[in-house]
Amino acid sequence: MANVSAFAGVDVGSLGTKTVILVDGEIAGYSILRTGINTEENGLHGLETALENAGLKREDLKYIVATGYGRISAPYADKTVTEITCHAKGAHYLHPQTRTIIDMGGQDCKAIRLDEDGNVTDFAMNDKCAAGTGRFLEVMANVFKVSLDELGPLSLRATEVLPVSSTCTVFAESETVSLLARGERPENIIIGIHHAIANRVGGMFSRVGIESDVFFSGGVAKNIGMRKALEDVLKVKIVEPKKDPQLVGAIGAAVIAQNSWKRGR
Amino acid sequence: MSVSGNVFRYPEEIRDDFLQTADIQFRDGSKASPAEVWHYLTEIGPKKYPHIYDYSNYYGRKISGDVTLPFSLKHNYLIMTMDERMTKAKQNGIPVVFVQGGQSVDPYYAAGAIALRPASVGIWASCQHEGLNLNQEEVRRANQKEKAYRAISFEVCQSAGYENIQEGTVPVDMIAPYSCLRCSDVSYGLEAHRHGKRKDVKLFLADYPLDHQKDKEWAITYFAENIRRLIESIDELTGGKTTAEDLRKEIKLHNEGRRLAMEIADLWWSAEVPPTNGKDRRDLFQMGGMELHGDPEASLSLLREAKGYIAERVKKGQKGFGVSDNPVRIFVCGSCVFPNEYRIEEVGGIVVGNDNHWSDITTIVEEDGDPFYNLAKAVLSYPYEQSIKERAKWTVEQIKRSRADGVLFLYNWGCNTQSAVARALVDEIKRESGVPTLIIEHEQQGTQSEQLQNRVNAFVEMLK
Amino acid sequence: MALKTLEIIKKRLEERPKEIEKARREGQKVVGWQGYNIPEEIIYALGLIPVRIGVGGDDRMVEIGARYISTKNCVFVRETVGLFAENNDPYVQNTDILAFDATCLQTYRTAEIIQYYFNKEVLILGVPRNFYWPEAKVYFTKEVEYFTRRLEKQAGKKLNYQILADTIGLYDRIRNAIVTIYTYQAAAGNYLSWEETYDLIHAGYYLDRREYLSLLEQVLAELREKQGQPFIEAVEGEARIFLSGSVLPPGDKKLIKIIQEVGGRIVGDDLWSGLIPYLDVKIPENSLQGLAVGYLNRTPHGALPYLDLDTDRRIKRLKELIQTFKAQGVIYHTLRYCDPYTFKAKETKDILQKEGIPLLEIHTEYAGSDFEAIRTRVEAFVEMLKNRYDEEVAV
Ligand code: SF4
Ligand code: SF4
Repeated sequence: MANVSAFAGVDVGSLGTKTVILVDGEIAGYSILRTGINTEENGLHGLETALENAGLKREDLKYIVATGYGRISAPYADKTVTEITCHAKGAHYLHPQTRTIIDMGGQDCKAIRLDEDGNVTDFAMNDKCAAGTGRFLEVMANVFKVSLDELGPLSLRATEVLPVSSTCTVFAESETVSLLARGERPENIIIGIHHAIANRVGGMFSRVGIESDVFFSGGVAKNIGMRKALEDVLKVKIVEPKKDPQLVGAIGAAVIAQNSWKRGR
Repeated sequence: MSVSGNVFRYPEEIRDDFLQTADIQFRDGSKASPAEVWHYLTEIGPKKYPHIYDYSNYYGRKISGDVTLPFSLKHNYLIMTMDERMTKAKQNGIPVVFVQGGQSVDPYYAAGAIALRPASVGIWASCQHEGLNLNQEEVRRANQKEKAYRAISFEVCQSAGYENIQEGTVPVDMIAPYSCLRCSDVSYGLEAHRHGKRKDVKLFLADYPLDHQKDKEWAITYFAENIRRLIESIDELTGGKTTAEDLRKEIKLHNEGRRLAMEIADLWWSAEVPPTNGKDRRDLFQMGGMELHGDPEASLSLLREAKGYIAERVKKGQKGFGVSDNPVRIFVCGSCVFPNEYRIEEVGGIVVGNDNHWSDITTIVEEDGDPFYNLAKAVLSYPYEQSIKERAKWTVEQIKRSRADGVLFLYNWGCNTQSAVARALVDEIKRESGVPTLIIEHEQQGTQSEQLQNRVNAFVEMLK
Repeated sequence: MALKTLEIIKKRLEERPKEIEKARREGQKVVGWQGYNIPEEIIYALGLIPVRIGVGGDDRMVEIGARYISTKNCVFVRETVGLFAENNDPYVQNTDILAFDATCLQTYRTAEIIQYYFNKEVLILGVPRNFYWPEAKVYFTKEVEYFTRRLEKQAGKKLNYQILADTIGLYDRIRNAIVTIYTYQAAAGNYLSWEETYDLIHAGYYLDRREYLSLLEQVLAELREKQGQPFIEAVEGEARIFLSGSVLPPGDKKLIKIIQEVGGRIVGDDLWSGLIPYLDVKIPENSLQGLAVGYLNRTPHGALPYLDLDTDRRIKRLKELIQTFKAQGVIYHTLRYCDPYTFKAKETKDILQKEGIPLLEIHTEYAGSDFEAIRTRVEAFVEMLKNRYDEEVAV
């Protein structure tokens, strides 16, 4: 293939490395790999795999943008951009009506507001508090001795929402233990936990203002119970993503790569 | 259905005796007869507020089972009728002013207003929702709180009623606390109201000067001016003109409440065995602050009646309901958080006193002379608001009088000013009294967690 | 780009502890103070050596402090207590008397704790919260008088009003110099960065105030020579940032470094440890009352409440300063458990949003664990300000 102009976005997160290749504005290939110890190698490996998947060669890549916490060790990239800006671009690419992104990842949780062109107008992230992160739900799943994936479906079987007041991991754990000790039904506690998180997330992000359409991304986005609780508590409509929401940052990075190249930057 | 299905009922056997007891006298001249109270408690209350009758043992605010103490029943009646009574007062043009803990309410009532603290406003808001079970009520509360955190900060120790005023339906006319040293959040919390939705709520701060305030003439004069301005601001709401005489009269009334509470405390503390359980004791002592029911006359009529009952139990050596033999006596210091008294009693302890709220009740206001100055001087001498050493000295006196075996210092997560002196105060108390102490930080506002209770219980067991 | 005078100041700061030690041996007393409303002029005029104490950024010291005061107090006061617990800091060691004010209740509590555990002589200055009332000015005047009487006892002499007048003059000149230097740092083609300006302010916490003034004047002379008339304008590609919120004391450079690292340019602040105490100071007369009123009339510290938003001079001043320094965005720094500023973050954000000025709140402590997380936020904020993708057509 002669004269292909391909653009790559590499998102090196704490858990997964995601890479997307864009050709003519279309996703030509991608890869999702577990993040290993060597950040730079992760990125390179992700690139190779995605190129393979797209049937392209390294020379076809005109511009690479790296994002995610691993962006600081990405000498292969032409430019680095924060995941916040990339997320906005990516969500806009997938669903142009997106006005708010709620991203609940392994370690952090953020809300991003964007304009009709996908530019960030405001954002907020959790500070130190684990509420709304995958980590928090993992701890809770442990208490109930179920897997993380089961939490969401279980919460849908609740007959009643129990009050769970803590969204601090340590305290919520002890609160949950005492609710169980009292003999409360696990699914009622689980839905209580989801509501508490949704409430807290709504609170954290009230500063940016949550407006529809809401794009829900990050590992926790797969949890149907969380999605439902957010819709209930925040009274918003969450859109169904067309692509694996995990890829959104990498997509955004690739979009930025393409635009930057076009503008000669 | 949740497991919290345990429901309390007042037993029919006590009915006849109860009907012989005194009426509750209200400030507006009206009365509630024991028959009305009984009807409400047994017929209306259970339907309207199922959560109040929840008798699960983890529920720290459940009804005291000590059914032969008439004031305990009447207190519950007053709590449950909060919404009705406040609505009625408001219809009669009486403004409701939101205040904060650890302060006296004399000037508000003198100016013809009702003064309510965060807890009372919370009760009022809660009473507006009928038919909720305990879980539903707690979810409602938690959701409301969350709104306040959004508007202010997640680091507010407790939202001080913000949610009920700004986000809820409680029609408070004015927010006017004293900015005591007990709490750094008072002024910031108050300030936060300025950008709330409700533009019609008047804001006022009674500026409490610090550092040996009671010994500085200029500090007393300044605070007296604050009281004067506070009363003027309320006058603007009522259209009335409050005189010095009105304030003096009010001070006398409140002094009676304070004195009664102290006399009752002395009786209670002098008894070989605790004459009531911890929950009834706390309510009773706190009535002396004349705030609890949003009606000082009502509180006073309960206090007057209660004194006799307590004296009689002390004479007979009768123990309060649920209290174990030879319980470990705990004195609680700190702010804005109470352990679950019933659970303490289960493990063989009892809470015999608190420093918070008690400090203002034990401060009698001089009745002769300029009432503004006298009140200011009294308020500035609240022991709780003094230097570490002075506060400790007073606390040790209370510990000795209450014959406490141990001291717990509790504070809320995020409570800056009480947590700041927790260690120093406790060190000083230990040094001066030799009584064992424990500091506990309470993680979550409003609720009573298992973690807190575990630590409290372990402390009690240690002292046994 | 560094100015010559900055080198001199650095050297003088290194020599200063020894100098203070020597002065103490010769019988002079050192007053370590902390707060917002302490009229330092009185300390200086009485021949006492004023040192503004309190540093930040050291998590170890915070841990030590938390043994005495609680973990629910802001890290700044925890570190202050830590300083006294450890007693290694030369300025802390050389403090004879402490002076704290009651502006922020946490500072007040800190004074109590230091007094209780470390046996220090602490003078407290009461500060009114209804500070805009005439009665509050009377109260504060009395407090300043009482404060002065106690200082006089320490100094072993009465306050001489001629010396006080000279001192007020000296301090006025210091304040004016600082305000002028701020214009230079914010200008185009600046020879002095905001960070250097900030360090310059902190040098004034320790150096002798007369010498300090002459150093400031030297800095100004150098700036005039190199930079000419300062002209503040936004240059393309800059992300001009205004800092607001909780104190950033000497030693707490985490956020400042991050902002610079990701390409932001700090152009101004309204911090307690920055410009704001030097602005709008008008001492109406040479008396204690004049000082009290002059101090109370400045833009108040966040711990003093304004119950009416329309009269809030903090907000008004913030807006003006953002304009003056041509800032494009505000980074609002809040220390954990610093309620005076944390409680106002959302409101300030809402207010500035209406003016089209974005605000990013950074909520942090001194621990380094959140470095990366803060960096991502600040970097995204800088990206947003630079609006690098402005005209890009979305794909
Ligand atoms: S917990 Fe402490 S800071 Fe909070 S309201 Fe109570 S006294 Fe104030
Ligand atoms: S203003 Fe904030 S940072 Fe300063 S002492 Fe008070 S709480 Fe701490």
